[in-house]
Amino acid sequence: MATSLTLVLPGDVIAKSALPTGTGKKKTLTLGPGLRHTPPDTVTATIAGALVTDNKKNAASIEYNTGRYLPFAGDLVIATANGSAAENFNCLLTPNTPSATLPHLAFEGATKKTRPQLPPNSLVYCRVASAGKDLPSELTCVDPSTGKGEGLGLLKGGMPFKISLGMARRMLAAKGGIPLLETMGAKVGFEVTVGRNGLVHVDGGNVKTTLAIGQAIQEVDIGALGDEGQRKLAAATLKHI
Amino acid sequence: MVAPAVTLTHLNRADGSATYTHNDYSIIGAVNGPIEVQRRDELPEEAAIEVNVRPAMGVSTPRERHLETLIHSTLRSIILTRLIPRTLVQITLQVRSLPEEDASAGVNTSLTLLPHLLHTAFLALLSASIPLLTTLTSVLIAIPSSPTTNAFPPLLSPTAIELLRAKPIRSIHVFAFAGDGKLLLNESDGKFSYEEWSEACQMAEDVCCGEDEEEEGGVKLDDGEGAMDVDAQAQGENLEKWLRSVVMRKVEGEQRWKSAT
Repeated sequence: MATSLTLVLPGDVIAKSALPTGTGKKKTLTLGPGLRHTPPDTVTATIAGALVTDNKKNAASIEYNTGRYLPFAGDLVIATANGSAAENFNCLLTPNTPSATLPHLAFEGATKKTRPQLPPNSLVYCRVASAGKDLPSELTCVDPSTGKGEGLGLLKGGMPFKISLGMARRMLAAKGGIPLLETMGAKVGFEVTVGRNGLVHVDGGNVKTTLAIGQAIQEVDIGALGDEGQRKLAAATLKHI
Repeated sequence: MVAPAVTLTHLNRADGSATYTHNDYSIIGAVNGPIEVQRRDELPEEAAIEVNVRPAMGVSTPRERHLETLIHSTLRSIILTRLIPRTLVQITLQVRSLPEEDASAGVNTSLTLLPHLLHTAFLALLSASIPLLTTLTSVLIAIPSSPTTNAFPPLLSPTAIELLRAKPIRSIHVFAFAGDGKLLLNESDGKFSYEEWSEACQMAEDVCCGEDEEEEGGVKLDDGEGAMDVDAQAQGENLEKWLRSVVMRKVEGEQRWKSAT
């Protein structure tokens, strides 16, 4: 990804030269979080952070690591299902926010006769189907084109850990993965689920492994460890498992 | 003028937080939002803003209520409330310490505190990544009383001790400016003429957001005129630049992992 670091403050007008120019088919510029378009062609920042542009996707956004998660269509999130009403489960993405809806039928293989039963406060890995400011955001556990779960659904066992939004983005990035998990994965078996809303769910089979891996991830997040630091941490953690 | 010291995002339960220390005033600010709003406070097309000012000691009084109203109306004009409708942005400002001389300086103590509260609230909003229309900078200006106005130039962002020494103060003014140089808030107290007010306003604007002209001015002043030294120093510290340096540090912290090995 072609990136250039420009610092912006709210209200700063992004110069046209700083924005990517469309190539080939993708002529329309996509604006991610933190940018606001004022017609006809002014783009201003609304939050403080680093301007990130991607020439290949013809997209620009502002990278930030603090604050509350705001749902964005297409994001993978770990939601807490707490209660069911009519045809939906009411899910929480972050505490103290209006709940998002997860339809009963948005599960793999669900029909009107066989509805999924979720125990209260269970964790569900799902995708944000739609998010707008005027409607509660909608979640889904199936890929709309295939009707398959694709790994989405109820998370059993394990334990969720809080991480920063930037860390979640980093773990879900296209290049994917952090060396910590690769190094540890060579020695112990575990399952990690990353939600864009600042949660990572770890299932290591037993409590000790789960806690060790979860805490190691949090440590990488807080210490902003690079590749080398992560390998060291992985070795130290493996000793105690 | 000494640049304020700031720590961002140090409270891990709040969505955004900032501690701000300047001239012995120290304030902790926390922002939660956008969160669920109570039914009676809900606004159909914009976000509700709640400001809580907590004094250094005791319970809040009408003075804090007054400050809350001022901060609320100022922040309402810079938060993009229409982007997050039917939610609540909750801002809590806890005054941690005040200079000892604050009460005895003989000026309105709520005005001396106001610029610091505004800065704290704004930094906490930045930390919480709430969508904002523009930036905010604010400054306090005190005009000491004297037979001739030239003898005592207006004090720019004075410390409590400076205010005490310059007693009696004729009038004090608080100005807040948006990033584009628009006046957001003006609170004045005392006796003053329109010329004095306008001079104070110009001075505040130079400090808050005088980007280009201000740099030229600095060069000019260096050439000669020793009498203007105080002003030159004051102009050297531009609040806009200070804000950028604060954000720079925040971003560097966030991007640290990219360069770490």
